[in-house]
Amino acid sequence: MRNLWIITGWEFWRHLKSRSFLLATFIPPLLFTVVAVVLFFFYRESRTPQPRVIGCVELDTTRYCEAIQKKLDNFTLPGTHTPAVVLIDIQADTTDDLQNLFQEVARLKHELDSLNDAYNRIKERRRYIFQRPDSPTKERLLRQTYEQLHLTREQRDLAEIEYNRQKAYVDSLWQMQILKTADSLLFTQVVEGYLILRGEELQDGRVEFHSIYPNQFLQIEPLKNVLQELLVEMRLRQEGITISQIHEWLKPVVINEILVEGARKREFSFLQSYLAPVIVVVFLFISIFTPGGFLFYSLISEKANRVLEILMTSANSFQIIAGKILGLGLLGVVQIVIWLILTKGLILAGWISVENLPFFTLHNLGFFVLYFVLGYFFFAAIYVGIGSVYSNEEEAHHINLMLRMLSISPILFSVPILMFPDAIFVRLFSFIPFLTPTFMVLRTPLGHPPEIDYIISVGVMLFSTLVALWVSGRLFRNSSLFDHRTPGWGEVWKLLWGKG
Amino acid sequence: MKVAAQKISKTIKGRPVVRTLSFEAASGKVLGLLGPDGTGKTTILRMVLDLIRPDEGAILFDDQKLGPTIRARVGYLPEQRGLYPHYRVIDVLIYFARLKRLSRKKAQVEAVRHLDRFDLIEYMDQTVGELSPELQQKVQILLTVLHEPRVLILDEPFTGMEGMNAELIKKLILRYREEQRTVILATRHMNLAESLCDRILLLHQGQAVLQGSVEQIRKKYRENLVLVEGEDNLTGLKKIAGVKKFLLENQVARLYVDPNQPVQKVLDQIIKQVRITRLEVNRPSLEDIYREAVNHQGEA
Repeated sequence: MRNLWIITGWEFWRHLKSRSFLLATFIPPLLFTVVAVVLFFFYRESRTPQPRVIGCVELDTTRYCEAIQKKLDNFTLPGTHTPAVVLIDIQADTTDDLQNLFQEVARLKHELDSLNDAYNRIKERRRYIFQRPDSPTKERLLRQTYEQLHLTREQRDLAEIEYNRQKAYVDSLWQMQILKTADSLLFTQVVEGYLILRGEELQDGRVEFHSIYPNQFLQIEPLKNVLQELLVEMRLRQEGITISQIHEWLKPVVINEILVEGARKREFSFLQSYLAPVIVVVFLFISIFTPGGFLFYSLISEKANRVLEILMTSANSFQIIAGKILGLGLLGVVQIVIWLILTKGLILAGWISVENLPFFTLHNLGFFVLYFVLGYFFFAAIYVGIGSVYSNEEEAHHINLMLRMLSISPILFSVPILMFPDAIFVRLFSFIPFLTPTFMVLRTPLGHPPEIDYIISVGVMLFSTLVALWVSGRLFRNSSLFDHRTPGWGEVWKLLWGKG
Repeated sequence: MKVAAQKISKTIKGRPVVRTLSFEAASGKVLGLLGPDGTGKTTILRMVLDLIRPDEGAILFDDQKLGPTIRARVGYLPEQRGLYPHYRVIDVLIYFARLKRLSRKKAQVEAVRHLDRFDLIEYMDQTVGELSPELQQKVQILLTVLHEPRVLILDEPFTGMEGMNAELIKKLILRYREEQRTVILATRHMNLAESLCDRILLLHQGQAVLQGSVEQIRKKYRENLVLVEGEDNLTGLKKIAGVKKFLLENQVARLYVDPNQPVQKVLDQIIKQVRITRLEVNRPSLEDIYREAVNHQGEA
């Protein structure tokens, strides 16, 4: 046993002073702090009262833009009276040609109206003549007015066709012009996007929103709500319901989201609930794989520089493996302690608020340490096995990378875990030893897994670690001195069962 | 401490590397395991050190199996050597000395004492990697004997040794013999081993083709060896009376003369029969004896 502790001490101290340990311990928190600071300033900047400017184009509607703006005025920026969204009624930038065309359409309209009046007057006169007693004059006047009526109607129909043709032409020109103006306002960043309101489409609840900024589509919800409200109001008004009643009925519901954690209750925050456990998992990953990597490369380099052979004449396989695993495991513990001290320091310095670390409870910390220990022993055992079999550093590096990727992959599932903490797939994945530590550490603050899941996952990890240690011990004993080339699966199988 | 191997065998990857081999290394004696590469020397040493286990047979140290106490009294210099290149010489020495059951204080004292003895004291605070290859080898030798082992096992100690280090090892072996310690030396340099070993084990394909003291083996193979180099066909020389065995390689004939026959008579016959460019009369070296024994085994 004495040799075990000597090896433990040697591995611990020699790696504790190494540059790579210092980098792995201090760079990730530093990186996270930098990212957090950048995000904080970005967030603060993004919260500085700055209304969004949105354009509004009415194609065959009127005064809807004004109504929408009135509603939007109720949504102010936090702590200010400034509307969160300013709506600009976009008008076409009319050219002289278009002005002339408008005048032409107005003239045609005027002409059409005159002909309509004339036609109606003739019809009126004919009605009057028709009511007079029969006489030759009546006959003549009727015939005469009939011809006038016929002529005027023909003139009016022709004027109407001409007017409609010209109006359609001018309307399309105008629409083109107004959309061109809207686009130019968008490209010159005067507006961040614009709405297009068309009469029939608006009735059906369809509105177009144009923007060149993808983030604008993520912030469409307030506009959508206002339009929805406007439309509902419009429909209810058509049903004869009063404005006050409408406003009463459309009063929004406010839900206070309170997260219950045992006896403690706190307001739910997505960032705290989701991001913080993910960061914790990243640190768990580092604390497992920093010493794991040291163990792996220490074994491979000791094989390469032949120290292992001398070591094996001084201590037995168990002492060497256990000494290395324990020594480097202690290094992981030191890493965690340093991070805890750093966190405490940041709290004391007022850089982090305790309220922002609601998951940082003794309960969660206990599980973090438990799964660190189990995960570390499991992966360390695997590293010993691979390190015993592989001599080629490049090949071993690829395997190491694969193991790391596999272990960190549960982060991809963090959103589904948050949404479905007890889903069957989440629970099943928690029982795959390569994924168990990260899955369980994610699940603990996100989903509060049932007790049985803890029992099964710990059992799975203990069993897998024992199997991995047994396999690794056999491989270490039987193959660590026979290097030269990487054995195939068949050879590994023989090494496993062979006599060292 | 007596080291005894009893009928040990080992098969690696389907190939028998050591076959029913027995030997004994006694205190105050140097045992040489001799033979070219691939004859199983390293495997035998690894079995002695319990790095690998024999498929059959046993290895005993003073009639006991290798345990932690005995392990701490064994020093081993492997054929392929290396140390932690990034760590200080003194730290590496103390680490390995402690693994050999020396207390921390004793390990420190012994490390400094040996560094001084090996003229390495000025390098104790340098990292191993900073030393020249010759000095690194010296540190490696020092590491092997730092704990003053009772059994010293050396695998090809002269291979790759630079300058004075080969001489250092020779002195070390002789000192250990004088101090009644056990030395097992595996080497392919038979002539070198001849001057150092008390007992030798000539190995061929994992088996001992010859075993005994150097004197015993010499007595057994005491015939004179005549080397003849000439331009003529030398095959006729094998018919000369008194020639027990004849070998011809690259126009050099090796004539093993019956020790009961006068060599002068044989030489006269050689001069009469062929035009010679070189003629030597030697006692057969261990290498010759090995070759002879292997051939003899092959014929048998």
